[in-house]
Amino acid sequence: MAGAAALRRSARRISRHLAAASSFSRSALQQPERLLSSQASPEHGVRGAVSGSELALYPPERVRNFSIIAHVDHGKSTLADRLLELTGTIQKGHGQPQYLDKLQVERERGITVKAQTATMFYRHTTASQDSDAPRYLLNLIDTPGHVDFSYEVSRSLAACQGALLVVDAAQGVQAQTIANFYLAFESNLSIIPVINKIDQPTADPDNVKEQLKRLFDIDPSEALLTSAKTGKGLEQVLPAVIDRIPSPPGKCDSPVRMLLLDSYYDEYKGVICHVAVVDGALRKGDKIASAATGRAYEVLDVGIMHPELTPTGVLYTGQVGYVISGMRSTKEARIGDTLHQAKSTVEPLPGFKPAKHMVFSGLYPADGSDFEALSHAIEKLTCNDASVSVTKETSNALGMGFRCGFLGLLHMDVFHQRLEQEYGAQVISTIPTVPYIFEYGDGSKIQVENPAALASNPGKRVAACWEPTVIATIIIPSEYVGPVIMLCSERRGEQLEYTFIDAQRALLKYRLPLKEIIVDFYNELKGITSGYATFDYEDSEYQQSDLVKLDILLNGQPVDAMATIVHNQKAQRVGKELVEKLKKFIERQMFEITIQAAIGSKIIARETLSAMRKNVLAKCYGGDITRKKKLLEKQKEGKKRMKRVGSVDIPQEAFHELLKVSNSK
Amino acid sequence: MHRLAIPLVSHLPSRKPAPIRRRPQDARRHASSTAATYSSTPPSPSLSPLPPASAYVHLPFCRKRCHYCDFPIVALGSAAPPRGQGADDPRIVDYVRLLLREVAATRPVSDDGVPLETVFFGGGTPSLVPPRLVAAVLDALRGRFGLSACPEVSIEMDPGTFDAARLAELVGVGVNRVSLGVQAFQEDLLRACGRAHGVKEVHEALGILTSCEGLQNWSMDLISSLPNQTQEMWEESLRCTVDARPTHVSVYDLQIEQGTKFGQMYTPGVFPLPSDTESASFYKIASKHLSEAGYNHYEISSYCKPGYECKHNLTYWQNRPFYAFGLGSASYINGVRYSRPKRMKEYAEWVQELEDGRWIHKCRSSDMKDLAMDVVMLSLRTARGLDLQSFSKSFGKSLTLSLCNVFKPFVESGLVIAMDSKRRALPHIDFELDLQNEGDFGSRVAFIRLSDPEGFLLSNELISLAFGIISP
Repeated sequence: MAGAAALRRSARRISRHLAAASSFSRSALQQPERLLSSQASPEHGVRGAVSGSELALYPPERVRNFSIIAHVDHGKSTLADRLLELTGTIQKGHGQPQYLDKLQVERERGITVKAQTATMFYRHTTASQDSDAPRYLLNLIDTPGHVDFSYEVSRSLAACQGALLVVDAAQGVQAQTIANFYLAFESNLSIIPVINKIDQPTADPDNVKEQLKRLFDIDPSEALLTSAKTGKGLEQVLPAVIDRIPSPPGKCDSPVRMLLLDSYYDEYKGVICHVAVVDGALRKGDKIASAATGRAYEVLDVGIMHPELTPTGVLYTGQVGYVISGMRSTKEARIGDTLHQAKSTVEPLPGFKPAKHMVFSGLYPADGSDFEALSHAIEKLTCNDASVSVTKETSNALGMGFRCGFLGLLHMDVFHQRLEQEYGAQVISTIPTVPYIFEYGDGSKIQVENPAALASNPGKRVAACWEPTVIATIIIPSEYVGPVIMLCSERRGEQLEYTFIDAQRALLKYRLPLKEIIVDFYNELKGITSGYATFDYEDSEYQQSDLVKLDILLNGQPVDAMATIVHNQKAQRVGKELVEKLKKFIERQMFEITIQAAIGSKIIARETLSAMRKNVLAKCYGGDITRKKKLLEKQKEGKKRMKRVGSVDIPQEAFHELLKVSNSK
Repeated sequence: MHRLAIPLVSHLPSRKPAPIRRRPQDARRHASSTAATYSSTPPSPSLSPLPPASAYVHLPFCRKRCHYCDFPIVALGSAAPPRGQGADDPRIVDYVRLLLREVAATRPVSDDGVPLETVFFGGGTPSLVPPRLVAAVLDALRGRFGLSACPEVSIEMDPGTFDAARLAELVGVGVNRVSLGVQAFQEDLLRACGRAHGVKEVHEALGILTSCEGLQNWSMDLISSLPNQTQEMWEESLRCTVDARPTHVSVYDLQIEQGTKFGQMYTPGVFPLPSDTESASFYKIASKHLSEAGYNHYEISSYCKPGYECKHNLTYWQNRPFYAFGLGSASYINGVRYSRPKRMKEYAEWVQELEDGRWIHKCRSSDMKDLAMDVVMLSLRTARGLDLQSFSKSFGKSLTLSLCNVFKPFVESGLVIAMDSKRRALPHIDFELDLQNEGDFGSRVAFIRLSDPEGFLLSNELISLAFGIISP
């Protein structure tokens, strides 16, 4: 099953969309400055403005499309910045670092969530020392690094012929390095290993070379040694790109056919698509159609990202740029789709898949009255992230809200963070869940995306249940192998591989139920390995499991938003933890509260919260009642923020805290 | 500081002040209030502003600040208290001058001159103010607003700040009710609170009060939930209180306020403060002991012998208007609440503005919601409770019904008591039946009150629930 892969995909896609969206308005502002800037010297062949006739000077053999892939923090963004500077695409010291990471969430987390492309012009002087040296058009396609977005990455990689595989000279190969390498390898890309951060005192490039040889069969002599920080070795990078990466293979005289890499929504221009032209040429005014939806559009604007939107009126075979075509929503612009000349039948480019949602969670306004505001924020955000599925749902505890499907965990996190940071929405999210399949004795089957929707007492026998799994890759210093094996077996993992990648580091592969890693697996893994573990995963198939629905009841009333689906053997423990946690976070009220966890009608855990004893202001306050009144009004406001089930008030923190339990230990 | 009251059967002051500007309507009013007992003919919370018939006067001087106190006070220092008629402390004299200016600059609300029924000298420690200065203030009030024939004139006094002569002098100028700030009967507890007196002074003061011929009506303050206070200590204090036979007792529950010494030292509910459970138990013990000794628990923190409710405090709880004078004091006039500046310099400037006619009240007057919240908050603090018919008349039937609905589960659990017009408790089923029968609601239920002690103990919760209905 594509579960895990889809998970990853979703996360990547989401964040990417987000990034691109926010970059746009900035770009509009920056452009004039760039046009005037002295750095766009003739030496680089092109000024800020680029005409269509200039692009015509770059036939496929003068074009290179490549991406940079790396484990997080191995220096991908800094290397990208340096290449952009080196080619005069951005001015050194101007603009912010991590140029291509536009979103606050990307900068904070040091991740890329939306793909970006940047076109650079480069004179290949090492081949010929004179001014007749040939000029090349280089497209850097920046991809998310996280597993959630692997589908998006695979689409971006499909537009490339090569990749720079960046590895930290001290840390060596890590989990995402492996995942990314295989993605690139499967896309038949020419891989240029770049051992970066060689300026560090602990750098050990020879060891890294050995790892690359052992794991990927990469010849040590191919590795470039660089320090993006000091600039050392950078001069070798672009010549290597030109020499080692093939030019794009398209047919110049065919009708236009292009791959949609990503899209984002701009308030003024509508949907902007990043595309790689595979065959033919795309001109302003052309009529194009989507292979996935069949819809036709007129090309209103076309150009390159240099590095901001730069209209050229045309894109030629092998080139990468943007298209604006009057699409109204990014839902029409599906990543991996083929756009082609309208009214001609073309073979769609391979690999298109619709988004697959692997993690679901209910999103509710933190303050009940804000439903409209949340609805609006979600609508706007999904304009830029079509990979989130959204349906309305209602909860007895939380009121009206949305059930959202995400590509993966990071995708979900990023979505929450963007809702808060970019749209100021305050949300309560319910315990994330995965799509389970329940089959009943009568042969009926249901897919469960919301545990509350699963009947607690269905009145018929459950014949079988299935849950999605992932294949996880974990790389750790060998002294941590024991605890990590323990952790994986607690999480119901099945060991598939246990090897050493060098003298100190072990590689573990596990099949794990997706549910077991969606809450706090990574944090715990980091915790027990002093932060040394790296972790990546891909979708795998569904497996049959003994699953039960766990209800939480307050004074006998089920709280739908707190229902979860757990493995039968863990139900007791999870139930107990949830109930204890709730006891801690629900405040005493004017009556006793029983907190129970139940499977069907069987109570498996129970706590009692005794009634509040005293809340009185028996103080002398004379005629000055204003302070007392303020206190009572504050208390009233506090009650208003609570969520109520039956007569029990539940603080919002209780919902947040529950997210932290559900799986662990 | 505390505001306590006069018995409804008034006691004539030994030197009877001549009522000034007494008019026929004053007489009527006086007659009705003396005849009244609190529970039988309660004044309804009024929407149309009546002229105030009460005045609060703040006398902020203390020898030192108690460790729990966050009131606006002026600490005079540990110098011996002025017991005799020696040189008055200039800070006190200056302040009284300021007070008199404020009184003079305050226009009576009604030209018809409704006289004052109650005057309350609160503090601070008003007993530190020389009696002739108290008399000067009282004279000024009489001159400006009139005093009814038998007004309740209360003063707060602390043990160790007065002798028999000084008390007699106060009574002589018209004071007829004393509120004695005892707080505890244990030396250790008094010291830990930072009180300026010990147990010896407490007994001396009790002796002086009980042997004062002209004083029949006096109250005692106690504080429960003090640090390191045990149940035995609390019971001892209650026993000593009952033995002293005051007409009125105020039992306060220690509140830890920010910015006080206790605020820095202690966390509510954490040792050496009692836990919530222990503290609730202290409250219940007080309610039980004092009730058994013949005191009515007529307000959350107030107990009295029958007929000895504090009339001045009833003004507050019935949401009636009142004047206020002095540092940090709060008045309620023409529907507007105003708290005076809490710092002396600002207060002095404010008095100047008032005299110059430059002071314009900046607070918005309260709207209907605020008024409804005030009425609910204040009346639910009393044993009389909320008069539903009167509330309904002022604020509408649907609000009254919603209010009753929110209390329904608590009527059932016994925290709230529904009563008929004769103040007999109704079974919760009657309350619910009455509620279901919307058109006819009120046919049986006339009052709701919080139960004693459980409902009173959760009054903040219950009142804030009502606030949520009134102002969602």
